[in-house]
Amino acid sequence: MRNSIKVAKWEIKRNMKNKTFLIGLFISPILFLAFMFIGSLFDDSDNDEPETTTVFVNDQLGVYPALEETVEQGEFNWEMESTELTESEVPDLAGNENTAYIFINDQAVESGTVPVYMSEEIDPFFINQVQVLSTPLQAMKIADLGFSEEEATTLLQGIAFVETIPDTDASEESSAEAGGLDDGSMERLVPGIFAGVIMLSIVFTGMAIFQSASQEKKDKIAEIILSSLTPSELMQGKIIGYFVLGLIQVVVFIGLLFPFVLWKTDIPVIEYLLVPETALLVGIAILSYLMFASIFVGIGATMADVSTAGNFQGMVMMLPFLPFIMIGPVLSDPNGLVAQIGTYIPFTAPGVLIMRLTMLEEWPWLEIIISLAVIIVSIFIFMKLAGKIFKVGILMYGKNATPGEIWKWIRA
Amino acid sequence: METMLTVKNLEKSFKDKQALKGISFEVRKGEIMAILGPNGAGKSTTIRNIMGIMYPDSGSITFHNYSGKDIPRNKIGYLPEERGLYKNVKVMDILLYLADLKDYPTDKAKERILMYLKKFDLEGKENVSVEELSKGMGQKVQFIGSIIHEPELLILDEPFSGLDPVSQEVFKEEIRSLANNGTAILLSSHQMNLVEEMCDRLFLIQRGEKVIYGTLGDVKKQYANFKCTINGRNQLGDLESLPDVLRVEQKGDTTILHLDKDVEPSIWLKNLPDHLVIHELKINRISLHEIFIDIATDKNLLKEEGVVHA
Repeated sequence: MRNSIKVAKWEIKRNMKNKTFLIGLFISPILFLAFMFIGSLFDDSDNDEPETTTVFVNDQLGVYPALEETVEQGEFNWEMESTELTESEVPDLAGNENTAYIFINDQAVESGTVPVYMSEEIDPFFINQVQVLSTPLQAMKIADLGFSEEEATTLLQGIAFVETIPDTDASEESSAEAGGLDDGSMERLVPGIFAGVIMLSIVFTGMAIFQSASQEKKDKIAEIILSSLTPSELMQGKIIGYFVLGLIQVVVFIGLLFPFVLWKTDIPVIEYLLVPETALLVGIAILSYLMFASIFVGIGATMADVSTAGNFQGMVMMLPFLPFIMIGPVLSDPNGLVAQIGTYIPFTAPGVLIMRLTMLEEWPWLEIIISLAVIIVSIFIFMKLAGKIFKVGILMYGKNATPGEIWKWIRA
Repeated sequence: METMLTVKNLEKSFKDKQALKGISFEVRKGEIMAILGPNGAGKSTTIRNIMGIMYPDSGSITFHNYSGKDIPRNKIGYLPEERGLYKNVKVMDILLYLADLKDYPTDKAKERILMYLKKFDLEGKENVSVEELSKGMGQKVQFIGSIIHEPELLILDEPFSGLDPVSQEVFKEEIRSLANNGTAILLSSHQMNLVEEMCDRLFLIQRGEKVIYGTLGDVKKQYANFKCTINGRNQLGDLESLPDVLRVEQKGDTTILHLDKDVEPSIWLKNLPDHLVIHELKINRISLHEIFIDIATDKNLLKEEGVVHA
């Protein structure tokens, strides 16, 4: 263990003195913030007052007040004006912006088509919005035909197909979801996002283990180092060292992110973070690191050079990204089949678990415990296997090991 | 002399190939013991087994003066054949790390590093990044790394490979002086001339088997018979009929006569017939190099002679 700590210290020192690592340490959070910032800029522009559309109505049937009322109900950003211009007198609208002319007359009502002239620049939803005006016109048409008001309403109501959910629980849940970012969900989201950031940061740093293990072979120093300690000490040292480097990455990330969040939003982040749930979520993130770190250190030892990674090694490298495939289904239904399966597959369990626990109000404790057990057992197995692979692989120079060879080392 | 390391009946197989077939030898305090052999003979495999980087199928490796079960890693210095250094670190940092791994005190290590850098003509390079060093400089740094913690047993696998003659000389001197100071040294090499000049005892290995084991003098006496090289055009028959000649090699105008083991050169020379054309004549012992080539190329002629006349 003492030797492992020495290796860990060395890896930390070596990376902290390495310009590439230091730049990477700051670049990724800064990029992240930059995108958030650019995103918020776009949001701002969306919130700018949408431009008002001026709608001139040539009403020859006296429905103008009814139309105005409908528009008001629809909360459209329209400015309606009555006009006496006839169709043939409509000015050229090419140069104008957000202007439309509507002509309501007998002929239009009879044929069921109301001519609308729009300027080129106009709200893209205008032509949809304008359809709303058909209701008062239809009502008038029906009234003309001599139906009573009651009959008219029935006629106008039409028939719609509406999805109905029998289970009350589910409807509650969906309403909670629909509520989106209310206070309660924010309270759960913050620790989740926090754990997610930790998980991603240390898993990404963990991928550097990969590089580090194969670099050991490329630089041919493995045998020199192994004359002073055992392969498993070297392996553990690397895992510990990169874990600390990952934490440093997290600290830098959070350190940069916090002021930004506090400045841009008024979420009481710190208050939300200081809850017991955070501890569990962060625990899951750390377990996730241990699992991927042991996989990476083992696989890294089988490779002569990162750039010559074979298919097998390439696939293993993609493992931490598996939960991303599940983001869609898990977020849309945190208790669905995909989410539950994801909870029990070692590679996806940590990611899926963090996502689910962030989304769910009621934590499925049984599933959490089983999932944690799966993760811990996998870590144990992967560590053992990685130890075996690392021992042989780290001294094999010049070529990448095939899956067949790796299998043989594992059985040895 | 005190024995530091004993290797007994070491056997090791890879797949269906037996790499080591019962290797036994010992390394003593203050001596340089050389393992010689052609490529693939089993030198590095033997050393890796000693270092615990591989585990033998059978046989024992004993480190004397040490009661623990594992290998006394802190007392051993090891320079592997496949060696290198981390690229993007400073010379001082990596040497301190290597010393730290051996539990050697940092301040003492620092002193020794500076001393050795100076000795190896690398003064002022301690803060240079390893990737900026030339290959030879890198080799020197690796060598310093293997002796920085004052090991009792120093194992050097092909220490001279890739070195220019000047650096070879520096290494040779340093290795010799370490031995004189009491370090037990085990080195493998196929640079015979160097080994011949510096080793006390040698172990010649071929295909995982012992061929020769003993002091350099013994080996020479046993295997390295006299040979007589004559420059000049002569009849093969004339030379073959000379007494005590075991074998004659003729290449153009040069003839080499391999002589019997017990030959007294001064007496034997008197047998040369008067009509012999001699532009040049020399009598010397077969060098280690020739023994080595002979074994490596499987001629085994010398060995047979040696066995016959042993």
